[in-house]
Amino acid sequence: MLLPDYYEFCCRVKIVAGHDALEQIPDLLIERGAKKPLIVTDKGVAGAGLIDIVSRALGDRVHADLIADDVPPDSDLRVVNRLARLYRDSACDAILAVGGGSVMDTAKGINIVVSENAEDLMAFSGVGALKRPLKPLVAVPTTAGTGSEVTQVAVIKDHEKHLKMAFGSYFLLPDISILDSRMTLTMPPFITAMTGMDAMSHAVEAYYCLQKNPLSDAHSLAAAGMIYRYLPRVAGNPDDREGRLAMAVAACLAGIAFSNSMVGLVHNLGHATGSVCGVPHGLCMAILLPYGLEYNLHKRADTMGELLLPIAGGQVYLATPPEQRAEKVVSLIRGLNEELHAITGGRHARCLREITDREGKPSVPRDVLPQIAAAALLDGASIYNPEDTDYEDNLMILEAAWEGKPLDRSRVKKG
Amino acid sequence: MNSAAVFSFTCPVKINSGNRALEHLPFELAGLNASKPLVVVNAKAAGPKAVRTLLAAFGDSGMTPGLFEGVSEATDLGVVDHLKNLCLEKKYDAFIALGGGKAPDIAKVLNLAVSLKTPDARRLSPETPLRHRLMPLAVVPTEGADGLETSQIACVGRMVFSGERLAPALAVLDFRLAKGKSRIRTAATGLAALGRAAEAHIQADQNPFRKAYSFAALRFVRENLMDAVADPGNPKAALALMNAAAMSGCAFSNASAGRLHKLGQVFYEFLGIPQGVIMGMCLPRVLEDEFRQSSGDPAALLQPLAGDEAFARTPAEKRSGEALSALKQFLAALRGSLGKELPQNLREAGVSGFRREEVLDLLRKDEDGPYLCGVVEWMTDGDRERKG
Repeated sequence: MLLPDYYEFCCRVKIVAGHDALEQIPDLLIERGAKKPLIVTDKGVAGAGLIDIVSRALGDRVHADLIADDVPPDSDLRVVNRLARLYRDSACDAILAVGGGSVMDTAKGINIVVSENAEDLMAFSGVGALKRPLKPLVAVPTTAGTGSEVTQVAVIKDHEKHLKMAFGSYFLLPDISILDSRMTLTMPPFITAMTGMDAMSHAVEAYYCLQKNPLSDAHSLAAAGMIYRYLPRVAGNPDDREGRLAMAVAACLAGIAFSNSMVGLVHNLGHATGSVCGVPHGLCMAILLPYGLEYNLHKRADTMGELLLPIAGGQVYLATPPEQRAEKVVSLIRGLNEELHAITGGRHARCLREITDREGKPSVPRDVLPQIAAAALLDGASIYNPEDTDYEDNLMILEAAWEGKPLDRSRVKKG
Repeated sequence: MNSAAVFSFTCPVKINSGNRALEHLPFELAGLNASKPLVVVNAKAAGPKAVRTLLAAFGDSGMTPGLFEGVSEATDLGVVDHLKNLCLEKKYDAFIALGGGKAPDIAKVLNLAVSLKTPDARRLSPETPLRHRLMPLAVVPTEGADGLETSQIACVGRMVFSGERLAPALAVLDFRLAKGKSRIRTAATGLAALGRAAEAHIQADQNPFRKAYSFAALRFVRENLMDAVADPGNPKAALALMNAAAMSGCAFSNASAGRLHKLGQVFYEFLGIPQGVIMGMCLPRVLEDEFRQSSGDPAALLQPLAGDEAFARTPAEKRSGEALSALKQFLAALRGSLGKELPQNLREAGVSGFRREEVLDLLRKDEDGPYLCGVVEWMTDGDRERKG
């Protein structure tokens, strides 16, 4: 196990997992002196009946009637400020965030405003501006993918000024994350598939990128094995409670791994594809992950090969010569995407050209690839990628990912 | 995933490990809103060089730590009360426990007393409610760390305080303080990490978060203990062992206190024998019994202790047995390297019959008393194979 010359690892979140984990929330809040949480969520989560489940689990020991269910898909400063006012006016003493990445970001933003009595959220942007614990924040993820229930960052957009504010602090970590199988049971297969592959990209990139460390490694190995085993199972059988809980746990493990070791090219190109074409993040991660592995393979073959054992098990591991294990991992990840494509009736796209909007029109036309390749140069995620990237290589990867063809590794500029 | 019950995991400890990790300490404390830390150390045990190195790391940070060097094995709640008054008067707002053993124990309970502004720290007990956040505590282990530094327990005056809030916010593992001189103390660090991590790793409840820590700890012990014992001054191996110890403490805090821990703890508290020495002595016996009783998942030890290839080669039904064999081989190699330096039984460890009886009296009060006493009897005799 690699011991870097220097590393840091931190995840101060209390994780509570189980089929009835939600029922622990009242005790956990009361332990922290809180009884009146502001429940922050979005219409989709509320419409799926998940807030009803949460409310029933909260019972009557804490107030569970203050529900703000209008968080937009893209975090918004005005919403943060409005909900912070609601929190203060209602004398709340904790935040209960139920949802995906945007809900978590919004909840973290509200927490900064109400804890620091902030008028201007911008004053707390950047890294390290927060110096003390915030109000209790309980995160209940409703997708098994983003890992934002265990990350110390938040991104809030000021749509009026066209600004994107990023916040980073260990004080932004939720106090508690609740992983409950009921929260993902109704997630449709194609969303299950792409959010699960988002988690897989966290686990895998965290394992081979430059800031890996022994604890992120241990989290990655556990997560990669669980996702490979359980993701097709829950995509094919949404009611599988054990599988749903396993995926929630695995996504959380992967979230801990990547928030401590960072990610690389896959996220770099994925962020750029998402921002240029507005396509779902998880789908970009699923499609680009095999290419991230291929692009870096000459620098990280041994490390990538170590993923084969948790992913494929002992028999496949032994049957694969050590020098071929990394390539086997690539082919298994591609195979997983194929399997998810079949399970979802084709909705899980295998390559960029297969991503379509609701009308069936291609979301990523081939002629935008140069724009994506250029946009990726402005995204910081490539810093931790083992091999250097540039515009030409970005474009080469995107073209291969658009076609769905393996990367021609002989064309990678080896730095 | 077979998880009938709700499970939880907490690790409030941030780990900073490696080159010049100490120099990050002022920044880390400032990030926790602290500006005036008190260093708590058993200067005799940690040594003057460790104290100098730690204080020098504050350089021109603008932070000048206070220093209490007088921790000893005998430090009790009376001393804690005196220190609490000093801290409140001088307005210390964070604590740094330097070294292993009693220093982190005292620092944890002192933090409790100061944070709660307890009128009389001598009245603190394991029943004292721990509802509020405590001040920031950093632990800085030195040679001889046993892993309990990062745990959520503290033993003072034969009382065991326990709670999530007692755990440190930060563990700083630095090459300069990891390097040691004593082969036996180095071995004890590795064996304590091995014992606690193994117990946490095989417990029956499925907790992948805990297992991530215990897996990494076990791997580090396996890959580095022999090198560190051969040359305690080998900074890389020593730091890896210190990492293993820190991780084992985090895993231990999320597991039930196991038999190895209980035995190591009682001999340390009563007789000052390093916990790892005792745990190493009874490791194969206790784990073998766990294997026989099929409690937990001993097969899970095979991968971290024998490596990926051996794990993959071994059929599932044989993994428990192979894990035990791997463990025995590992311990035999360690004994081969250390020879007489590593006591093989209580006699060699210098435990008199009288003191052993005291330990037995205490162990009898444990819910697992008959078993633990049986292991102590077994450890007494040099000829363990006959009794085992």
